Amino acid sequence: MDGVPARLPAATAGIGLRAPHYREIAERLPAVGLLEIHSENFFGEGGPALAWLERLRRDYALSLHGVGLSLGSVDPLDRRHLAKLAALADRFEPALVSEHLAWSSWGGRHANDLLPLPFTRECADHLVARIGEAQEALRRQILVENVSAYMTFTESTLAEAEFVTEVARRAGCGILLDVNNVHVNATNHGFDANAYIDAIVPELVGEMHLAGFERDGGLLIDTHGARVAAPVWQLYERAIERIGPRPTIVEWDVAIPPLDVLLGEASRARAAQQRVAA
Amino acid sequence: MIALGARQRAMMEALFGDTEPAPPLAVYRRNVLESFRGALAATYPVVERLVGPAFFAEAARRFALASPSTSGDLAEYGADFAAFLSRYEHARAHPYLPDVARLEWACHRSLHSPEAGSFDFAALADLAPERYGELRFTMNPSLHLLRSRHPIAAIWEANQPDRDGTPERGRGGERVVVWRDASGVRVLPLDEATWSFLTVLASGGTLAEAIDDARGLADAAATLTRFVADRILAGFDAAPRA
Repeated sequence: MDGVPARLPAATAGIGLRAPHYREIAERLPAVGLLEIHSENFFGEGGPALAWLERLRRDYALSLHGVGLSLGSVDPLDRRHLAKLAALADRFEPALVSEHLAWSSWGGRHANDLLPLPFTRECADHLVARIGEAQEALRRQILVENVSAYMTFTESTLAEAEFVTEVARRAGCGILLDVNNVHVNATNHGFDANAYIDAIVPELVGEMHLAGFERDGGLLIDTHGARVAAPVWQLYERAIERIGPRPTIVEWDVAIPPLDVLLGEASRARAAQQRVAA
Repeated sequence: MIALGARQRAMMEALFGDTEPAPPLAVYRRNVLESFRGALAATYPVVERLVGPAFFAEAARRFALASPSTSGDLAEYGADFAAFLSRYEHARAHPYLPDVARLEWACHRSLHSPEAGSFDFAALADLAPERYGELRFTMNPSLHLLRSRHPIAAIWEANQPDRDGTPERGRGGERVVVWRDASGVRVLPLDEATWSFLTVLASGGTLAEAIDDARGLADAAATLTRFVADRILAGFDAAPRA
C-alpha cells in the first residue's frame, strides 16, 4: 500500500493510536516516528476505524501490537485469529508486529487479559513452538513482550530475563522490552530491575514500551492509565545505554489524555535516545 | 512440578469460579471482570444508561461469569447479552431492555461490517423499464432488520449522549432498520408497509414481490429511491430471463 516506508530507524519514538485521537492526528500530523495499534481493534471487515488507519498509514510507519493471540496457552493456536492478523499485516505493511509472552485462554474460554506464565523449561519449549507457528503463518518475524505479573509460580526455575531471552533466541523472534513491566515486576516480586535489563541480549530487542502504572495496596498494577513514572524513565535510560536506542512506544489505554500529553511523553523518550547517542 | 496445562486450568477456574479467589488471583479476577464490564459498556451504552452504572456493573459481572468469552478479540464479546438480560430476574422492571440490547448489538455489528460497493446506476439505466419488476437487490452488508413489541428506536434515540432520555414515542412496537453509511451507523424506525417492502427485498425477493407484499405502501418508487440514496440497497441483479 502507499505510505511511508515500513523500515524504521532504531532511534525513534511514537504513541499507541487510540480512537479518541484518530481525527486530531490525521489533521495535525504530529511529528512522531510511528503509531502502534492494538491489532484486534482492526479485525473488523470494514468501518471507520479501518478507514482512519488507511488514512494515517499514508503518513506514519505502523506497529501491530496484538493482545489476543494467547501465545502461551495450551489450547491450540487460534487459526482464525492468526489469519485475521496475517490479513491485517498484509494490508497495512507494518514495520513491526508484536504479541505477548502470556496466555489468555484455556478450554476455549478467553479471559481477554494477559495472564502470566511460569518460567520453566516446559513453558519455554511450548512458547518456542507456538511463536514458530505464528511466525510461519504471518511469514515474518515477530516481537514478544515481557508482561506485568501480580503473582509468581513455585514451579519457575528461571529468572524472568533469562526466560525471555531463551524463548526469543530459540524461537528466532525479537523482544519487545516493556520497561514499565520490568519496573512493575521488579517492585512486585523484589528483584533488581537493572540486573534484568543487563541480562537482556541487546541484539534480540526490536522495540521498547513505556507506560504508566498505578498502585493498588502493595502492588503496582500496569494500568496504562498514567504518565511514565520517574523510576521507569531512569530504567529506560539505562536500557537504551546498554541495549542501544530502539523504536519506542508510549502506551495509554484508560483515562486517555489529550493527544499533546501523549506526544509530550513520546518527545521525552526521543530526547532520551538523543542524549544517549550524543 | 505443576504442568503448564494444569496450572492454566486451575487459574481459569479460579478467575471465573463462584467464590472470590485468594489475593494474587483476586487481582486478576478484578481486572478481568472490569475489562469485560468496560467492553460490554462500550457496546451497550444505552442499556447502561437505562439501568444506571451500578446495576449495569452487576449485570455485567454475572454475565461474564455465566457466559464465557470465546474469542481473543473483545469486539466479539457480548453477543448473547440480550438473551442474558431476558432471563435476568432483576431486569424484569425493564421489559424493553433485551430488545434495546439486540438493537445495540446490531449497531455494533454494523459498525464493523464490510463496506458496501457503489450502486451501479449506469447499469440500472440500461435496463428496460418493463423488466424493473424482476429486479433483486443486494443489501448493504451492514444491514440489520429488527422488530420489537417496544419502541426500541425511540428509546435508543432518546438515550444518545446529546439527549435527555425522554423518548418521543412512548408506546407500541417498532420495526427498525440499522445500517452504516458514510455518516456512521444509522437507526431508523419504519412503518409496517415500508418494513414489509424492505424485508422482502432483503430476503432476496423481486421488486414486484416486494410491492405486492407491501400493501399500503404509498409510493414504492419513492421508497426505493430513498433506500438507494441512503445506501440501504447497495446494488441489484436483474433476474435471469425466463
